[in-house]
Amino acid sequence: MGASRTVELPDGPKGETRRVELTKLEWSLQFVKMKIQDMIFNGRKTDQCGVIIFGSEETNNIVNDKNGGYEHVSEYIPIGQPNASTLARLDELRASETAGDPIDALIVGIETQDIYLEKKRTWTRKTVLVTDGESPMEVDEWEAIVKKMEGLNVSLTVVGVDFDDEELAYQEEDKPAIKRANESFYGRLISALPEGFGLIGSLEHALLTLNYPHVKETKSALLSTTLRLGDVEVRESEAIEMNVRIGKCTSSARAASWKKYFKKDSSEDHVDEEKAIFKEVKRRTEYIIDRSTEEGEEDEGKGKGQDLSMDVDEEKSVMEEEKRPEKVEKEQLVRGFKYGSTYVPCPDGQFERLNTKKGMEICGFFGKENLNRSYPMGEISYVYASPTSVPDQLAFSSIVQAMSGKGVLAIARMVRSDGADPKMGILLPIVWEKVDILLWVQMPFADDVRHYTFPSLTTLVSRSGEKITKHPYIPTEEQLEAMDNFVDAMDLTEAAKDETGAPKAWFDTRLSFNPAIHRTKQAQFHSAVESDITIHPLPPPHPELTKYFDPPKRVLKTAKHALEECKAAFKVKEVPKRAPRARKDGHMHAQDQDEDMILLDQKGPARKRPDVASPPKSQAANTSLSRAGKKKETVDDSETESESDEELLLESRQKPSAPGLPTPTASAEPEPDPQRAPGRIIGNTYPLKDFRQNLKQGDVVTKAVEDLGVVVREIVGRPFASRRKDEMVECLTVLREACLIEDEIDAWNRILRGLKADCVGKDGNKDFWTTLQKMGRQMSLISSTEARRVGTISDISESTAETVSAFFWSIPVH
Amino acid sequence: MPPFDDWNVIEEEEELELQDSSFFEGKRDVILFCIDCSESMHELRDDPVYENVQTSHLLAALDAAMQIQKKKVIVGPNDSVGVLLFNTTRLNEVKGYASEIKKNSFVYQQIAPISAPTIQELIRLIDEAREDPDLLRNTFPPTQGKKMPMGDVFTSCNWVIRDGAPKTASKRVFLITDDDNPHPNSKQLLTSSKTTLIDLTQAGVRVEPFFISTPDKPFDPTRFYSSVLPSNTIGEDEDEEDPAMLPTSISITRIDDLLSQMRFHEVPKRALFSIPFELGKEFVIGVKGYGLITEQKKGSYKYFVDLGDRMEVANSRTVYLDEDQQVEVDRRKILFGGKLGTATADTAEEDEEMSMSITRTVQLGHKPFYTADEIRSFRSLDLEPGLKLLGFKNKSAIAFEDNVKHALFICPDELKYSGSKRTFSALLQKMLEKDKIGMVLALIRRNATPVFCALVPQAEILEEGGWSEPAGFHLIFMPFADDIRTAPITEAFRATKEAEDAARAWIDKLCVKNGAYPPDSYPNPALAYHNAQLQASAFREEFDAEAFEDLTRPKYDMIHKRAGALLKEWKKVLSSDENYNAVLVTTGTKRKADVSVDEADLRSRYTAGTLDKLRVDQLKEFLKGKGLPTAGKKADLIERVGEWLDKY
Repeated sequence: MGASRTVELPDGPKGETRRVELTKLEWSLQFVKMKIQDMIFNGRKTDQCGVIIFGSEETNNIVNDKNGGYEHVSEYIPIGQPNASTLARLDELRASETAGDPIDALIVGIETQDIYLEKKRTWTRKTVLVTDGESPMEVDEWEAIVKKMEGLNVSLTVVGVDFDDEELAYQEEDKPAIKRANESFYGRLISALPEGFGLIGSLEHALLTLNYPHVKETKSALLSTTLRLGDVEVRESEAIEMNVRIGKCTSSARAASWKKYFKKDSSEDHVDEEKAIFKEVKRRTEYIIDRSTEEGEEDEGKGKGQDLSMDVDEEKSVMEEEKRPEKVEKEQLVRGFKYGSTYVPCPDGQFERLNTKKGMEICGFFGKENLNRSYPMGEISYVYASPTSVPDQLAFSSIVQAMSGKGVLAIARMVRSDGADPKMGILLPIVWEKVDILLWVQMPFADDVRHYTFPSLTTLVSRSGEKITKHPYIPTEEQLEAMDNFVDAMDLTEAAKDETGAPKAWFDTRLSFNPAIHRTKQAQFHSAVESDITIHPLPPPHPELTKYFDPPKRVLKTAKHALEECKAAFKVKEVPKRAPRARKDGHMHAQDQDEDMILLDQKGPARKRPDVASPPKSQAANTSLSRAGKKKETVDDSETESESDEELLLESRQKPSAPGLPTPTASAEPEPDPQRAPGRIIGNTYPLKDFRQNLKQGDVVTKAVEDLGVVVREIVGRPFASRRKDEMVECLTVLREACLIEDEIDAWNRILRGLKADCVGKDGNKDFWTTLQKMGRQMSLISSTEARRVGTISDISESTAETVSAFFWSIPVH
Repeated sequence: MPPFDDWNVIEEEEELELQDSSFFEGKRDVILFCIDCSESMHELRDDPVYENVQTSHLLAALDAAMQIQKKKVIVGPNDSVGVLLFNTTRLNEVKGYASEIKKNSFVYQQIAPISAPTIQELIRLIDEAREDPDLLRNTFPPTQGKKMPMGDVFTSCNWVIRDGAPKTASKRVFLITDDDNPHPNSKQLLTSSKTTLIDLTQAGVRVEPFFISTPDKPFDPTRFYSSVLPSNTIGEDEDEEDPAMLPTSISITRIDDLLSQMRFHEVPKRALFSIPFELGKEFVIGVKGYGLITEQKKGSYKYFVDLGDRMEVANSRTVYLDEDQQVEVDRRKILFGGKLGTATADTAEEDEEMSMSITRTVQLGHKPFYTADEIRSFRSLDLEPGLKLLGFKNKSAIAFEDNVKHALFICPDELKYSGSKRTFSALLQKMLEKDKIGMVLALIRRNATPVFCALVPQAEILEEGGWSEPAGFHLIFMPFADDIRTAPITEAFRATKEAEDAARAWIDKLCVKNGAYPPDSYPNPALAYHNAQLQASAFREEFDAEAFEDLTRPKYDMIHKRAGALLKEWKKVLSSDENYNAVLVTTGTKRKADVSVDEADLRSRYTAGTLDKLRVDQLKEFLKGKGLPTAGKKADLIERVGEWLDKY
């Protein structure tokens, strides 16, 4: 087992093939550890294991103790419930030069197991023999062993390193004769065992099988309840009451949870310098109140965004620390509810419950074609007639068959136990080969349906009340045709083949494994058996997990043409993200959420000109123009309304051909207006982007520098410039760098002085200037020294520039 | 929000998955009711509900505002509401707001978190106004002659909201008026209305108008409002605008429907996600997802601490500790791994420290655990949020039992990808035409796990004056192989054709013609019961449990009237089945004694008083068969069996 062997590792981050040298023992132990980890993972007290090694230097086993012989076989780990230290002990194993007899080890194993299970007769006994098949062994008494194993109902799995494998089409080259002989012996041994008690395979195959996603089968207890129709108390003879059982049909399985660990501080007492110890954290819930902030401000930040990542949590805890919340003991707390801001005491945590009686009551029936498929709210349950009552089974069956024959569903009200909250749901009849059943699913209450309004996709009405039939939102005949072909081409109904080769539908829920569950499990197993996941990274997910992640290749091929046509017909373009802009609402909410800003972006003033009511004749040509005008108005945060009106006039004077219907999303011009003022090459929307673009082209650098300077000064000077502060600082950083390189040093110095004059002047953006000051030399005027370093000239002396960074305020304004 | 009990703390990762409903509760909502108080709003008319009672538009509007507040206080206890009246000469007596508001408008209720006293005050006003029809006119006298400029109304709204609304909340103005042309012949006032409304919109406030229309005074939005309101004022959240188009959903309503119209807008529409939808390689559109069906749960209790003058909510916080040192562990240093198993007696002996939790020791510098980022990548399989089309299937390919959670609704998002609307619309149209469903791979959020969904097309259905079914796709989450359980029972006695026909007879009678499942008919009784008690307790009133009606209970009288006789007949047919009295051989009892008892035998023993001759396991078996508890001593069991036999 000491021989080395190259094992393929998962491809590295750059797709390179990676291999690792492992001894056969190390490789075999991966399998053993995986098997044991499976037990740790399931955490059952009735899953126990022990490890016997053969070929060890020492001899330590019960058979030897009693009778002698059985040399070089050791009981390495006694039988018990395994845990992480079991795995750690396995890691300590090293290959030896000594040979041991696997048959001896097998006998010792069976014996050890038998003694351990003396009083646990019902336990299942398994032995797994892992070997490279190269140890010499005495096989004379093998038939006696088989007899013994049969008697004890012990199963045996032989896992061999590089055993021949038909399925993987593997045959070891230059297989030693002894191994060949041993392999065929194991084959005989296994086939001599009773059906289902013997298995032989190669290690590689075994490891592969371990990675295959296995669905964990869960059997849930059936809930016993009653199915009722009508008033069973008063009008019993005309009502139905029968016993039924309810069991789960679908139930969302979740990925195994992660435990949290931390590395123990090595400075702690008696910790080995060479070792790192990880320990599980203990969770404690604390209760805190916050007197500093006002009522109504608490809860801020809770569920604010969709992304409740760890970062947010951290931020929150940092925030909480700053606010210095006060800890309160749980004993001081009373339970209650909030009714708006009013406190409603409720020491029990709940009010009196509705008085309900356990059972399912049928309220009526309706045609199954009228089922709104978006209503079912959760998991499905099976409903059966009581397995112990014939009359109930007959009655139940007759109802299911009648419902099925008529094609109706029942509306039913379900109370799971006395006093539980009632749920509404529907029952669907299913007639199976030998049994009739119902399926139950919960349906929404009135309170559960949210009536949001959505704009119609097909009916667009102009302001004058006319129906618009041609619009970029409405697909044209040509586009519909393209989509028609696409839908046909992407059909999955016959995209897969069954065992006989006949076409069948692609995608089967029964074969679709939850990738998160199995990937998480794989990762947990991996980290349990590997002590360093940096050296031994997690292998890629099993292909079974991702087999449905892409449409079948054949379908993609068929649809290729249709897809191209669709792309050409629809011309969908990604809209670049717009930088948040300032707004003029007269009070400072600089730290407002992004969401508000987005809202604002799209909700700028719409242009409501009576003359745009008529549908356009040639939208495409007019689109970009009218759009540009509109957007300008929208985003231009100029102080007064009249100004934007002026611009509007200006716009229409310049582009008299723009009276059409503005189409904000027409494909002709998907970009938002960059907001470049007439004559400028840098716009107010993406100044930096424009600037870089121009710099790349390299022809109008002087102009670009000049314009960016003006734009920055404009933006900084506007209300709510703090929104774009970081952006502006970035602009200036880039600008300064460019000025140095492009020999625009004078321009930079001029811009900076101008900016300062703007900022420190009356109503200037003093905050912004302070920010720049804090940046010191990297944002100062460019000195002659610095200029010389890049081979240009500056009229500012080094000392002045230094002064600038040190005493920014004192620099005279030119 | 889950209750804050230690035992009920959900694992953090799971929390991430479960949070989609809390997302709604997270953001606060502010509504300012802005109600017209002009002459026509005060005009008295007969109450449609109460006989001999006079009501007015204003009263109805105030009533609706009150009802919405009552509803909101339960759905979002942190939400704020205010009431502003305009076109009234009543003066604001309370000074000291940050800014004065415009003349002829009156702040009846400042924007503040909803509380029991404010609602009660409004209720009192409404009750008094019902008693005394002139009360409202006297309290809020209408302006005479010229109306208050709408521009000033919007400015007042702006100021009131600015003073009272938390900055991060979603802010809306519910504008209620019956005047479709407040400023005839004044171009200037129209322009000023327009500009002040723009200011309001830019302050992040959405105006949702509710226009009251009467037969004698129909409301024509084109006279004034269509040129004032931005096209996306209502309904649509942060969606695109197209000035040529009419706002999609101006509510023009009869006064009686005012409340139900407001209900549609009660919860601000918020998208759960906005992600790309990849139809093919380099063919991507933007979609937004909404939860149209979401279980509305009872609010969970909170922990309060008595601060003497007031009760303050105590928030829970989870801290992670190093148990030995009793110090907090820096969250950033926490690593993740599978469980290490429990320490058994054997290993504990070997361990020097006899601690229950086991540690993992590796060579220094080795990393046996994962970071938070890594475990997130295991959950998402490194996919980016988005939908990816896998292909199309026949509608029949999605079975009833392919369901694990509530569906989501998606519609196009033009803002992220221009051309999304037309592409989405064409896809929808073609799928409806061909009766197809789509299959997609979905990762709806960065923290979610990939799932397979069926894309079920929904055609637009318009209903007169009511709620219309919007056009889009329902995203139905398919179960994984891991979620599917096999049927535990595969065999049972079956009914004869006669019995089936007999059942069919009464099912026919109990069928709703062309009916479907009517969610609106079933308000959640447990939720309503809870909320009624909560409200009573907040108002310091006695809760009247007798008055509570559970609308989900079956209509017994109707059932018996229609099908009673047929049910009786059906029972008769059933009892004539040859297997009716068959004794079931319970399988799987090989090792156990025969515990099956015949009901007839039991009954005769009961009448003979010899039930105690039976063994406990026999009694238990019988009780189990009837779904009754099997706990207790033999005497209890006998008593329970007796009770059952008495009953049936």
